[in-house]
Amino acid sequence: MAIIDFKFALEQVPEVLKGVPWTLTIAIVAMIFGVLFGLLIALCRIYKIPVLNQLSILYISFIRGTPLIVQLYVFFYGVPVLLGYLNPRLGLSIEADNISPLIYALVAYTINTAAYQAEIFRSSINATSAGQMEAAYSVGMTTAQGLYRIILPQAIVIALPNLGNLFINLIKATSLAFAVKVVEILAISKIIANDGYRFLEMYLVASIIYWVICLVCEIIFSKLEKKMGRFEARMDLKAPA
Amino acid sequence: MLISDYIIRVDREGDRLIELKNIKKSFKKNPVLKGVDLKVNKGEVLVIVGPSGSGKTTLLRCVNYLERPDEGTISVDGFSVEGKNASKKDILNLRRKTAMVFQHYNLFKNKTVLENVMEGLLVAKKMKAPEARNISMDLLQKVGLGEKINDYPTQLSGGQQQRVGIARALALNPSAILFDEPTSALDPEMVGEVLSIMKKIAGEGMTMVIVTHEIDFARDAADHVVFMADGVIVEQGPPKDVLSHPKHERTKQFLKRLVREPEYEI
Ligand SMILES: Nc1ncnc2c1ncn2[C@@H]1O[C@H](COP(=O)(O)OP(=O)(O)O)[C@@H](O)[C@H]1O
Ligand SMILES: [Mg+2]
Repeated sequence: MAIIDFKFALEQVPEVLKGVPWTLTIAIVAMIFGVLFGLLIALCRIYKIPVLNQLSILYISFIRGTPLIVQLYVFFYGVPVLLGYLNPRLGLSIEADNISPLIYALVAYTINTAAYQAEIFRSSINATSAGQMEAAYSVGMTTAQGLYRIILPQAIVIALPNLGNLFINLIKATSLAFAVKVVEILAISKIIANDGYRFLEMYLVASIIYWVICLVCEIIFSKLEKKMGRFEARMDLKAPA
Repeated sequence: MLISDYIIRVDREGDRLIELKNIKKSFKKNPVLKGVDLKVNKGEVLVIVGPSGSGKTTLLRCVNYLERPDEGTISVDGFSVEGKNASKKDILNLRRKTAMVFQHYNLFKNKTVLENVMEGLLVAKKMKAPEARNISMDLLQKVGLGEKINDYPTQLSGGQQQRVGIARALALNPSAILFDEPTSALDPEMVGEVLSIMKKIAGEGMTMVIVTHEIDFARDAADHVVFMADGVIVEQGPPKDVLSHPKHERTKQFLKRLVREPEYEI
């Protein structure tokens, strides 16, 4: 018997690929909601909105200071307790058992990634020059208009490389989603491995699938950077030093 | 002599457009404006000169409330704002009276030349795109950048960027344009192209408040010159008085240093 059974590994690929939609769904949905919440949190911090600013600091500190897998467990076991407390008081009847694992994962990963995105957006908004907002004011824009039309488009371009890294980390982090009972790439691989005692083969299959997904994402993000940053005079496009 | 003085005084009391009363402003404990009064008439070109750090920029930025005064009143074109407790709406209304040209141009980096000029028309004036485009195109032709409308600011020279800045200000059809050292960030060979456009605009009757170190330009284009030092107005009057026959010692010293400067460069 070969040390690595490639035939077995190849045969299992289609089965493991069934986990890809779960991985992508969690990563993409969490990323999109993370952008929304992350931006709002970043603005609360930049404009030092009372209470919300302090809450944001606390939240970001907690998320960044605890392992994701611990957060997932706290969330998974905490939500039923929370519902048990809220249901009678708010007259609701939401059964924790009826919430699908995917919903758990989407919410938990959004909570996690929004904290990181808030910090990315905060620093990228601060990296746009103060003169840009002043110019927006000088042509009669409100703060909201200046943010939406001038500052955020620039800040997103500055943030894009970091957002790309974050998204790739998010994809890899979905391999922890078994903690909330989502059966994605890694979970499927483990199940098959357990059945056939082919651990190395299955982990190799999983790692190659993750790798390919991440490669594709990197390409997409670098295309996006080029497209969105067309107004920037980039270091690597300038004349040689 | 007497008669000309009289005429000037009458002129100065003509159609008032901007009036600052007792403007005070401190940064932390550092008093930067110590109770400044300033009047600008309609169609007037008012030049503010003075040593660096004297509060010229801060004063100019109080006019469109980029800086919040600690005390004083700002009136522009019949709209008055109490310095300290202006509401958001007041500030917006005040800002929409004027336009500003910045030392470092501050063109919107994520917008093309044309979009830079259209932006205020679309957003603040709620103009339809085709009309805004026509107005902007005309103004860009006027400042000599009709060929560059689709470039981004980073693709332009400093002089070109500042001309876009001027077109952006003109597009708003403001009551007055505020210029904060519009040529001091420019390479020397580009100063002329910007100053000549400013002269052209002045000739068309635009009210302009200009902070600058270009004394020759001030002599030539200003109707009224204000000399500031240490957060107060030391001396003001027609350019031939303030710049050629200054009364105060501070003004004399300042002008002497400005005139002497080129000698050091040799
Ligand atoms: N945002 C600020 N924070 C703190 N100090 C400031 C700020 N802006 C200006 N100053 C100070 O106010 C004084 C006047 O500045 P400014 O109005 O820019 O002078 P000028 O334009 O005449 O050179 C300077 O001493 C400067 O350091
Ligand atoms: Mg200044």
